[in-house]
Amino acid sequence: MNVLVLSGYGINCENETLHAFEVVGFNGKIVHINDLLQNPKQLNNYQVFAIPGGFSYGDDTGSGNAMAKKIMTNLYDQLIDFTLKNKLIIGICNGCQILINLGLVPNVNKKDPEVAMIENKSGNYECRWVLLKVTNDKSPWLKNISTLNLPVAHQEGQFMIPQNLLKNIKTKNLIGLQYMESNKKLAKGKFPFNPNGSKYDIAALTNQNGNVLAMMPHPERAFYHYQIPNWQNNSSKKFADGYKIFMNAKKFFA
Amino acid sequence: MTNTIQILSIEKTGKESSLQKEHNNKSIKIIDGYFFSTNLDDQKFTKISKLISNEVSQTILTKKNVDKVLSSYSNFNWVVEIKFLPGVTDNIATTVKEIIKDNLKSSFKSFELGSTKIILIKGRKEDITKISKNEANPLIQTIKIYPFKKYLNNFKKNQFKIEKVKLPKKKYSKKEINLDISDYHLSLIGKLGIEENDKSRRGTLGLDLESLKVIRNYFSTIKRKPTDVEIETLAQTWSEHCKHKIFSAKIDDIQEGIFKKYIKGATEKIIQLRKDNFCVSLFTDNAGGIEFNKDWIICHKVETHNTPSALDPFGGAITGIVGVNRDCLGFGKGAKPIANTYAYYLANPNKNYQLYRQKKNKDPMLPANFIAKGIISGVRVGGNCSGIPTPQGNVYFDDRFAGKPLVFCGTVGIIPKKIKGKPSHKKKANPGDIILMAGGRVGKDGIHGATFSSEELDPNSPVSAVQIGDPITQKKMSDVIIRELRDQNLYSSITDNGAGGLSSSIGEMAKESGGFIVNLEKVPLKYKGLYPWEIWISESQERMTLAVPPANVKKVIKKFNARSVEATIIGKFIKKEKAIVKYNKTQILNLDMEFLHEGYPKLNLKTSLPKIKKENKKIIKKSSLIDKLHKLLSSPNIVSKEFIATQYDHEVQATSIIKPLQGVGRVFGNATAIKPLFDDEKSIALSQAAYPQYAETNPYDMAGCSIDTAYKNLIVSGANSKKIAILDNFCWCSSDEPDRLHQLKEAARACYNYAVAYQTPFISGKDSMFNDFKGFNKTGNSVKISIPPTLLISSIGVVDKISHLTKITPDDGDILLILGKTFNELEDSVYSKIIGHQKSKNPVVNSKDALQTYKNFEKANKLGIINSAIGIDLGGLGIAITKMAIASKKGLTINLKLKDKISVDQFLFSETQSRILVSIKKNHFTDFKKLFYNSNYEIIGECTGADVIEFKDSKKIIRGKISDFAKSYKQNIKGL
Repeated sequence: MNVLVLSGYGINCENETLHAFEVVGFNGKIVHINDLLQNPKQLNNYQVFAIPGGFSYGDDTGSGNAMAKKIMTNLYDQLIDFTLKNKLIIGICNGCQILINLGLVPNVNKKDPEVAMIENKSGNYECRWVLLKVTNDKSPWLKNISTLNLPVAHQEGQFMIPQNLLKNIKTKNLIGLQYMESNKKLAKGKFPFNPNGSKYDIAALTNQNGNVLAMMPHPERAFYHYQIPNWQNNSSKKFADGYKIFMNAKKFFA
Repeated sequence: MTNTIQILSIEKTGKESSLQKEHNNKSIKIIDGYFFSTNLDDQKFTKISKLISNEVSQTILTKKNVDKVLSSYSNFNWVVEIKFLPGVTDNIATTVKEIIKDNLKSSFKSFELGSTKIILIKGRKEDITKISKNEANPLIQTIKIYPFKKYLNNFKKNQFKIEKVKLPKKKYSKKEINLDISDYHLSLIGKLGIEENDKSRRGTLGLDLESLKVIRNYFSTIKRKPTDVEIETLAQTWSEHCKHKIFSAKIDDIQEGIFKKYIKGATEKIIQLRKDNFCVSLFTDNAGGIEFNKDWIICHKVETHNTPSALDPFGGAITGIVGVNRDCLGFGKGAKPIANTYAYYLANPNKNYQLYRQKKNKDPMLPANFIAKGIISGVRVGGNCSGIPTPQGNVYFDDRFAGKPLVFCGTVGIIPKKIKGKPSHKKKANPGDIILMAGGRVGKDGIHGATFSSEELDPNSPVSAVQIGDPITQKKMSDVIIRELRDQNLYSSITDNGAGGLSSSIGEMAKESGGFIVNLEKVPLKYKGLYPWEIWISESQERMTLAVPPANVKKVIKKFNARSVEATIIGKFIKKEKAIVKYNKTQILNLDMEFLHEGYPKLNLKTSLPKIKKENKKIIKKSSLIDKLHKLLSSPNIVSKEFIATQYDHEVQATSIIKPLQGVGRVFGNATAIKPLFDDEKSIALSQAAYPQYAETNPYDMAGCSIDTAYKNLIVSGANSKKIAILDNFCWCSSDEPDRLHQLKEAARACYNYAVAYQTPFISGKDSMFNDFKGFNKTGNSVKISIPPTLLISSIGVVDKISHLTKITPDDGDILLILGKTFNELEDSVYSKIIGHQKSKNPVVNSKDALQTYKNFEKANKLGIINSAIGIDLGGLGIAITKMAIASKKGLTINLKLKDKISVDQFLFSETQSRILVSIKKNHFTDFKKLFYNSNYEIIGECTGADVIEFKDSKKIIRGKISDFAKSYKQNIKGL
């Protein structure tokens, strides 16, 4: 099992993302976008393509836009091919914004892009921990998980979805994660439980196959128990919630 | 055909909402504009618009739709158009250019473009003027206000323009400067700069008459006139900013100066006293380094960026943080930045100080809230965009920072001990090595930054001294250095380009080889038309200078280029101790290295005891204890700084282990920790402390308190006392006045005494000596505002095990104890400022008692006896108690039957140092007693788990609800 973790132009979570994949059993490599664009065929050697978080191009012209446009120049077809082969793609935070800008998620009408990532309602950058409900537990990434406690850190985390597409997304069950106020209750847009004002508390979307996951929260930052706030108060299991997502990827290929 | 692309968000953005809130709910819309130097045909317009906008969330304005689209939002009537002045870094424009280049390749080659923010409002002209003042800085941006109709007209008729940097008309010819002139004219050169042919002056050199005479003598000995480049170079190299002349000067009877005697002297003494030296690199490199574990070194550096932040808060702060990141990149062979720290000392953001740099209300200081907001967001963008967590920091407010804010930016880095078998912290540019400049290009930005930051802020402060950072360019460069070059050992030395630019970085590195020859025409420029002296001293950001053995140069350049980073050969290091600069083969600088670095006249300083100026003291109004607690909790220097912690990404790199917000109740902690390596449980604890409010009463004790607090916070967090190092950042005022120098000497003397007592070495430091504002108030009277002397002590320590890390939240049934004795030390406390003044003393650190407490605490913590702990600082024990309760959401009962001759207010609010509030489980008390038999402690209550804090004395019980305390503690700071 091989994972390619993308880097370059201000992506900055590649080390911890690769680490998480490696711990659950993947062989991985961080590949710079320039190298990948020069030789897109190398994607064939990988089963998972991960776009980590960061600030590609400093969010100029909208988060994820410039990197998506760069990927479009010579990699788009390869990525479509990748998804069709039932391999896995994950975009975390800036990676999520890039996938959305590429139109790989939700990819309902196969037209790019269908959804936009816009600025948080608060107008502020938000770095905080959130509770999440797993809504699409059919996605290989999210199988057998019901809730997650993960951090977010973003300026533009609000999913903007046109009304009719939203209906479609709901009926097709493409909402990956939703923000919650408590273990039982959705955030219903309430700050800070929903940190960015996303409609329907959407924190992640998948494509129709479920093999492409675009999520704003950072599972790689909630991998070990000591990364959770106030971990000293809780019994110390070795791993935290983010681990489950990476394990799911492993199980998918096992 | 059009020359502009303008885009707006369909829905109201967060930014628009907050602007609207600030401006009485007036309708506001923001347009992102791009102005092109050439006209776009319809096809290009469509293509490019699509590339830089989002169909789902944005609308692209066209001549056809503009009326309809905009009128659908509101009947706007005023517009402000904000764009960068020519030459100021425009990151968005750079990105757009790259997108166009990538996607349209051959079809669209040469063009310029600038990004613009256009704000529309339905309101009056006053409203738009107010917005423009809050949203733009005239120093770096052009601000045009006009009626909405004119905007529509401009839009339809292609009347938007981008402005270019004015290029000098004349070609450069070598300029020689005549120094055989009167003292008066000589001093004008120093103060106003070299005179151009048109009689204008280039801007301050910061050279005093004596220095200029030394320069004159040097050139008369070598029998020629100096060139302009030589004088500019000497001014940079000899600046207070670069040479720290005051710290190295003879002062009273201290021949070797206070740096050598008190700072470096303390570290040398400690190394001599201790057998277990953990210092790796001290004072000489860009940062100080200590051992982390057997394979890794960590380094730390804290810088100030005060003057740039006063002029352009956002730009000053962002370049402050990315600049200190480069100090880590330039530590040894290049350390990876793993944490940022910040400390801001600001004026009250809710106050209008109305200060002017010139008479008749001209050249105003920026408003205090604009400065505060700009600084906070500058570090946010710099840190977040660079992918470096920013966990540790604080903010302090005082009117005396109205003339100059203090902005401390720090970075921690990590580097393997050995690279290809050689110690990584050692580097040496060898004769024959190529000088390679990597990263960003050089522009007019930041010219004279080093010389003017060494001076007071006055009307002649140069505007080109401001720069805007480009963290993404730096991130790209940093990734190549750390991941692809360093561990291959492809270069022999590296340093960053900060103050003084190339003149300083190459000048410093050349000490390692002997000298250098630079060909300035090789330096890549942002735009044509820079004079050689400008290229040489420009402080354009995001550049590192490397010394590369000739055999590796091709490989190194190739690696940079493969990651879209520029790297250029600009000269070579030589053995001969000469500094030589050429421009198109003409030699424009030729100095002896010895004169360049050591030729400056040494100062001889005298100090005198200052007279203490007493302020008018507030008289206490009677109020209840609960009321006092609320007042203190909501006061700006105690109130939670959560709003900063949540906008600074402290989770990136996945290392955050003790976070800035602690407990379920999210209390802003005074120490944080990161675990930098996945395969080692060792962590790094960070803290910092400064007490400017104590300085005027007694600078010696002020420094003692800073060291004690910074050290104590790490002990409390669980660090190993044998592995704590500290950094000093002196920000002083009027350092040419004997009484200020006396305070400086006293503070430095305390640094020596306390560092040696605690055996915690200084590993790095920096000073900024003239933080004064000279100008005018609104009535035109001249005013001078000096900051209170501020010594920031930053502490960095190693925590050996995860289990040693403490928490601040007690559990039900815990016994609460205070470690350390409390004295009546309310002088200069938050209590005395907010509640009222009473006869009292200033806090004095007794290092012997303190160390006993810390030693016992450390032992107890390692044995698992401490359940929770919080260092007591501003606001005293009372605030520490409330913070514990807010953090844990658990009630506490506090016993106020006091044994000592001390009042309740003194006990609760005195800022006596070296005290820790701890909670332990009841069954640990016997063990606790055994351990603490030789140090002072007192049981003060217990954790009840209720929803109130109870204060009991023999007569009554007073209660306050935790949720109410939390409300006060989490109030917004007015003006921010």
